[in-house]
Amino acid sequence: MITPKILQGTRDFLPRDMAKRDFVMNQIKSVFVRFGYDTVETPAIEYAETLLGKYGDEGSKLIYRFHDNGGRDIALRYDQTVPFARLVAMNWQELPMPFKRYQISKVWRADRPAKGRYREFTQCDIDIIGTQNLLAEAEIAKVMAEVFQALGFKNVAIKFNSRRLMNSVLERLNIPREIQTIVLRTLDKLDKVGLEAVQNELNGVMEPAVATRLLTFLDSRGNNEEKIERLQTFDVQEIREFLEKSRLFGIPEGVLEFDPCLARGLDYYTGIIFEAFLKDVAIGAVCAGGRFDDLCGLFSEESFSGVGVAFGFDRLVVGMEQLELLKAVSLNAQVLVTYFDENTLPKALATLNELQRANINTEMYFEPTPLNKQFKYAAKKEIPFVLIVGPDEVKRDEVTIKVMKTGKQKTIPANQAASYLTGYTS
Amino acid sequence: MIRIAIQSKGRLSDASIEFLRSRGLKFEPNGRSLVTPCANRDVEILWLRSGDIPEYVNRGVADFGIAGANVLAEKGMELEGAEKMDFGFCKLVIAVPGDSGIHSVRDLEGERIATSYPIILSRYLQAQGIRAAIIPLRGSVEIAPRLNLADAICDLVQTGKTLSDNHLKPLVTILESQAILIKNQYVIPAKAGIFSELFPNQIPTSVGMTQKL
Repeated sequence: MITPKILQGTRDFLPRDMAKRDFVMNQIKSVFVRFGYDTVETPAIEYAETLLGKYGDEGSKLIYRFHDNGGRDIALRYDQTVPFARLVAMNWQELPMPFKRYQISKVWRADRPAKGRYREFTQCDIDIIGTQNLLAEAEIAKVMAEVFQALGFKNVAIKFNSRRLMNSVLERLNIPREIQTIVLRTLDKLDKVGLEAVQNELNGVMEPAVATRLLTFLDSRGNNEEKIERLQTFDVQEIREFLEKSRLFGIPEGVLEFDPCLARGLDYYTGIIFEAFLKDVAIGAVCAGGRFDDLCGLFSEESFSGVGVAFGFDRLVVGMEQLELLKAVSLNAQVLVTYFDENTLPKALATLNELQRANINTEMYFEPTPLNKQFKYAAKKEIPFVLIVGPDEVKRDEVTIKVMKTGKQKTIPANQAASYLTGYTS
Repeated sequence: MIRIAIQSKGRLSDASIEFLRSRGLKFEPNGRSLVTPCANRDVEILWLRSGDIPEYVNRGVADFGIAGANVLAEKGMELEGAEKMDFGFCKLVIAVPGDSGIHSVRDLEGERIATSYPIILSRYLQAQGIRAAIIPLRGSVEIAPRLNLADAICDLVQTGKTLSDNHLKPLVTILESQAILIKNQYVIPAKAGIFSELFPNQIPTSVGMTQKL
């Protein structure tokens, strides 16, 4: 016998977990769909060369890579962006341009598992490619706001910045290219470590006077307008236009926070960048992304500029658990029809058919066992109603509905079962 | 020109017509036409089913309207602090057959309640922490218990005669209603001016579906 076990950093999800995850997933999808996003799917396995070298040195080490039975060099999907770029490069002539899609699938990383870090997890992306118009950025921001609202989060911040703006600040201060990446990473930590620590760290790589000037420009105190004011001598048109288009989209005031220090780790962003947070749950960014100039550069002569974000699906689920937004999620069966004996079975199944026709999720117990056992089954499956179809009920053409939560039983004409259950208040 | 929507025939129509005429508006009684212009003022009367009045005003097809608080509440319109007019009094009550075993609101747990006001009723039940099966009916709610379609009803009561005719007794009043003057929330100042000149003592309540996000 083999001791049953699963790889560290992977998870089994039992029905209760899956009900919650499906609920969250469907809420998110419904927002994407409302904005007209279609979806695509790519294989879980790709040629290793497709994925290698796209995620920086650190990232490449974390790619699951192996040789298959035919000796091919294979890699597991590491994120959804690179396979998407490959898909676009292969199919762009078939696709409408601008092209937008959502994509939700599992990805794999050969990482050391830790709390909240998995080897197999779900990513949830939207991207718009083939347009440079900031309306695309504004739509992405609006989709984020709508997703958070659909999930029930009231207190969110969608932070944004412009890589272009940041670069022009760095250039004005003559900060050499070699250290720009370090500088951006340092600035990105401002929220976490505070001004003094950032200043100290910057002093290590540049003149303290320059560091001070840099931090004066990028001061993130005050409201959006005040922050833009401080950067007035730079080209802030992109920021203003993005904010205006977002306003026209109806993104609530105060949700969008201009953060001049926001940098995002990845190097390929070129314009507006995003990072969104739940203010009531300390789990880091729950959605992030931005504008990239050339999605398919390594796969195609064609160049596609685009903007997109990835939602941290697992973090959103954790956040909703913590804020008790998933309490009302129920398992699938709403009604259990009891199995009394072979004589009552025809009526029981007829009732089941009728309830299912009324779109009420209904199942039948599989054995003619004592009712108590059938009630226990219903309780364990969290089924709210049990429909008792016994000999007395059949004789009078009635059914007895037991409400599991209250234990109360109600006998009504059999043909009213569907309307009773449909009208039952929550 | 302003447009005022009132009920074409029903509980509120006579009183609504009387109200408009009491401020000097001259117009023909409701014939077959949906719209009647006033002879003496730049006002049009829109004759509608009571349930449609909130929607017409909400969408700005009518600038003003007279509707029952019960109808507005059923449409989910926020009307806190709305000034009430002096007519159209009625109550929304839950009633049960005279020989019913239901003696208190608690006893409604799990029972069937027939009503034309499912929204108001479900809010009430929720507030009371009671779960019951709401059986939505368009009309003739009072006969539902006799037909074993419901164990209780939730219906509008003016005199109580319909209830007693059907051997029903009131259990609890869940809404006291009267006529309310409403206006479209975006009505332009010029129209609001015409209205307040005609009806100086009336403050209409703005209606609008609560805008989400």
